[in-house]
Amino acid sequence: MTAALACSHLTVSYDGNVALNGVSLSVGSGQMIGLVGANGAGKSTLVNAVAGWSRGRPAVSGSVTLDGADISALAAHARAQHGLLLVPEGKNIFAELTVDENLGLVRAPRDVAGRHVFSIADVFNLFPRLTERRTYKGGSLSGGERQMLAVGRALLAAPRVLILDEPSAGLAPRLILDLLERIRSLVDRGLPVLLVEQNVKAALKVVDHLYLLERGRIIAGGPTTVMKSDARIVEAYLGTLAVDRA
Amino acid sequence: MNLSQQIVNGLVLGSGYACIALGWTILLGVARLVNFAHGQLYMLSAFVTWYAMTRAGAPYWAAIVIAIVVLSLLGALMQLAMTRLVIEQNLTSLMIVTLGLGYVIQGGGALIFGGNPQTLSSVLARTKVDAGALWFTWQDVLVLAMTFVLYAAVWLFVNRTRFGSVIRAVAEDPRLAQLFGINAKLVYLGVFVFECAAVALAAALVAPRAPILTSMGFNEVIMTFVVVVLGGIGSIGGALLAGLGLGMFIAFFGAFVAPAYTTAAAFGMLLLLLVVRPVGLATK
Amino acid sequence: MTDSLPHRPLSMLRAVVVAALIGVAFFLPQLFGGSSVAYSTLTTIALFAVMCYGVDVVLSYLGEVSLGHTVFWAIGGYVAALMSVHLGVNGWVTALATIGLSVAAATFLGLVTLRTREFVFSLVTYAAAVVTHEIAFNWDAVGGSDGTVGIPALKLPLGFFTYVGGTQEELWPIAFALLLLTLFFVARFRRSRLGTTALMVHMNPALATSLGVDQRRVRLAVFVISAPITALAGWLYAYQRAYVGPDMFEAYFLVMMLTAVVLVGRRILLGPLLGTAVLIIQQNLLSLGGDWNKVILGFVLAAVLIFWPAGLMGLVDHMRQRWLRKTRTNGRENKRSYMEEVQ
Repeated sequence: MTAALACSHLTVSYDGNVALNGVSLSVGSGQMIGLVGANGAGKSTLVNAVAGWSRGRPAVSGSVTLDGADISALAAHARAQHGLLLVPEGKNIFAELTVDENLGLVRAPRDVAGRHVFSIADVFNLFPRLTERRTYKGGSLSGGERQMLAVGRALLAAPRVLILDEPSAGLAPRLILDLLERIRSLVDRGLPVLLVEQNVKAALKVVDHLYLLERGRIIAGGPTTVMKSDARIVEAYLGTLAVDRA
Repeated sequence: MNLSQQIVNGLVLGSGYACIALGWTILLGVARLVNFAHGQLYMLSAFVTWYAMTRAGAPYWAAIVIAIVVLSLLGALMQLAMTRLVIEQNLTSLMIVTLGLGYVIQGGGALIFGGNPQTLSSVLARTKVDAGALWFTWQDVLVLAMTFVLYAAVWLFVNRTRFGSVIRAVAEDPRLAQLFGINAKLVYLGVFVFECAAVALAAALVAPRAPILTSMGFNEVIMTFVVVVLGGIGSIGGALLAGLGLGMFIAFFGAFVAPAYTTAAAFGMLLLLLVVRPVGLATK
Repeated sequence: MTDSLPHRPLSMLRAVVVAALIGVAFFLPQLFGGSSVAYSTLTTIALFAVMCYGVDVVLSYLGEVSLGHTVFWAIGGYVAALMSVHLGVNGWVTALATIGLSVAAATFLGLVTLRTREFVFSLVTYAAAVVTHEIAFNWDAVGGSDGTVGIPALKLPLGFFTYVGGTQEELWPIAFALLLLTLFFVARFRRSRLGTTALMVHMNPALATSLGVDQRRVRLAVFVISAPITALAGWLYAYQRAYVGPDMFEAYFLVMMLTAVVLVGRRILLGPLLGTAVLIIQQNLLSLGGDWNKVILGFVLAAVLIFWPAGLMGLVDHMRQRWLRKTRTNGRENKRSYMEEVQ
């Protein structure tokens, strides 16, 4: 069976400086893959390159396939239309549009074969908080509400694969796990998710598979149960206590 | 000079200003783009309309349609050439590029249409209405009515439709819009084409009031800038109000103070406003 | 053309080369045959280049597009015309008045536009030009729509004798001197505190603020010093043409200034001069007629920014860097193999 999302030998450079060096990974259907690493390891560079998107001017080489189809030549908006939905790090909603208008920007595809379709009611069920904020402008939302809105609009576009770049950034610790568990519930219904996460402890609780990125290369990867006790993960991100508890 | 006639004159002038400024208001305020060729596009539209009527014998309404089509195509070409600068939001370069293209249009216009002044004659412009002591033409009525209709339609489109949200989203953050599956380049193209179509319509409506010259360019639409800045950049209602208010001011200033210095007076108002209130009249 | 660190022998050599180039440049009209056309073309290039440097200072170092420099250009022309015709004063007096009035006008416009940026700044400066044009066109005291004719030859008393600039041949040394003075001034400005601060405000406003730079002051100062440069060019233009009228506000001069600056590339000392030279030579010697020239000038302006945003020098630079990178990687490999051999 082909992977829902796969990239191979992805290399990205900015003005000749290599930020990502020949990275390959894949996300199977119904799988939640975690991508962790230190600041500047190239996590955002990787997922942005997969989505064909950037705020800078990177030079990208390598290939990306979505449900077996090569999408490397498509522009960012076309990849989104084909069901590869990235929720980027930082500013990921429109501040001057209301919640309803933000959600209204998305148009669900006509052909839903192979897509995971979510209705607006599903989104409000998943994030009841948004219901109360429908007429508020994006700029007036709290950090958590913005993440909910950003994920919600991505779901409305009927994703094949959902990529989340640090959805927990700026969230209170008790909200992080809550958000990740809600997303896990979508994975359990079949939606493949690639999750970039700073908070390794929280990520380990929800993902099936974990990759460790360092200086633009994947240096370790495997099932969560194995990675939990991987020396590099333990030393750098968990400390010994976490292993004991696990 | 009677007072009510000046009010009528003010409405006539002001609706003309607002009508010409509509395209710019959308372009600048909604999509955050600039087009310094606006004046030359106005000139070109007036001449295309004139050419279609006098040389091709088209009726007035058909000439308007021809002008809109020609200007839309030209706008599409301009925007395609500028796509990279637009996506990078390089406003400084866009200003200079459109200024250069405007100069090309001015030179090209003179080559095609010659250097003589022409009159764009519309039947409505020749039919005067005398209502007691007041007089105006049916063309003036048409301009006023069309201006209100157009502003209302554009306001509804921008604020009440999905396409309106898409345009505002692209204006706020073109890159992020791409992740929403929005083709930002296409949206910019659409907005720019709309600007050109709007200026074509405005020129066909307003230009019959005075002789047209290929060199009129910017100076003919200098009031557009005053209207857009006075109205609070990008506020659709603000631009309409500013246009009408400016028309009143000019009518009264021209009648009672000095007709030769109306532009200077309008500019004086703008300067005063910039010192007192740099964001414009409208508040968000 | 970046300024290298001061190296004494190098700077000596440099001074000699620069002096030699200046000497050669002065005799250019003779080198081109010494005809009246050669003199008038080179005089026009020199004074138009000076005109462009005013815009260059604002565009290259503040990153703002001033569309109001035709006001300063016209101030120079009108002051020279009106004062020499009606008061009969010499060139020094008109030049001083030009500087004074243009600085005053720029200070006023600069203060009013202090809080505006980008297109609002451009719009207001443009509106200023339109309004000044309207006044010049309607006000009979300054010549009205007819302008002022019969401007006497430029007289510059130098103590014991008076230099008279009546013909193109006699005006050339003055235009040349004005150009040299401008180049010297702009070169000094680029290295001055104001010049470097302005560039920082343009390129990295956040850094400038964190260093306690008052951005408004810098913007105002740069705008004000740019005005007399363009104004003095207008001053000389009045004597060259012996006529001044509202046509000094024509868009041609504006488009010319911007094109000359962006054509070769911003922030290059000789850029505006070379740009002006190319454009004037096209218009004077390879002209296709006024309207075609407009099409060409406007097209050049748009095309440069669309295709080579850094101008012709940017294009050259790009190619040179590609070439350098290639040779550098080769060089590195050579060096490595050399090291291996040594070990």
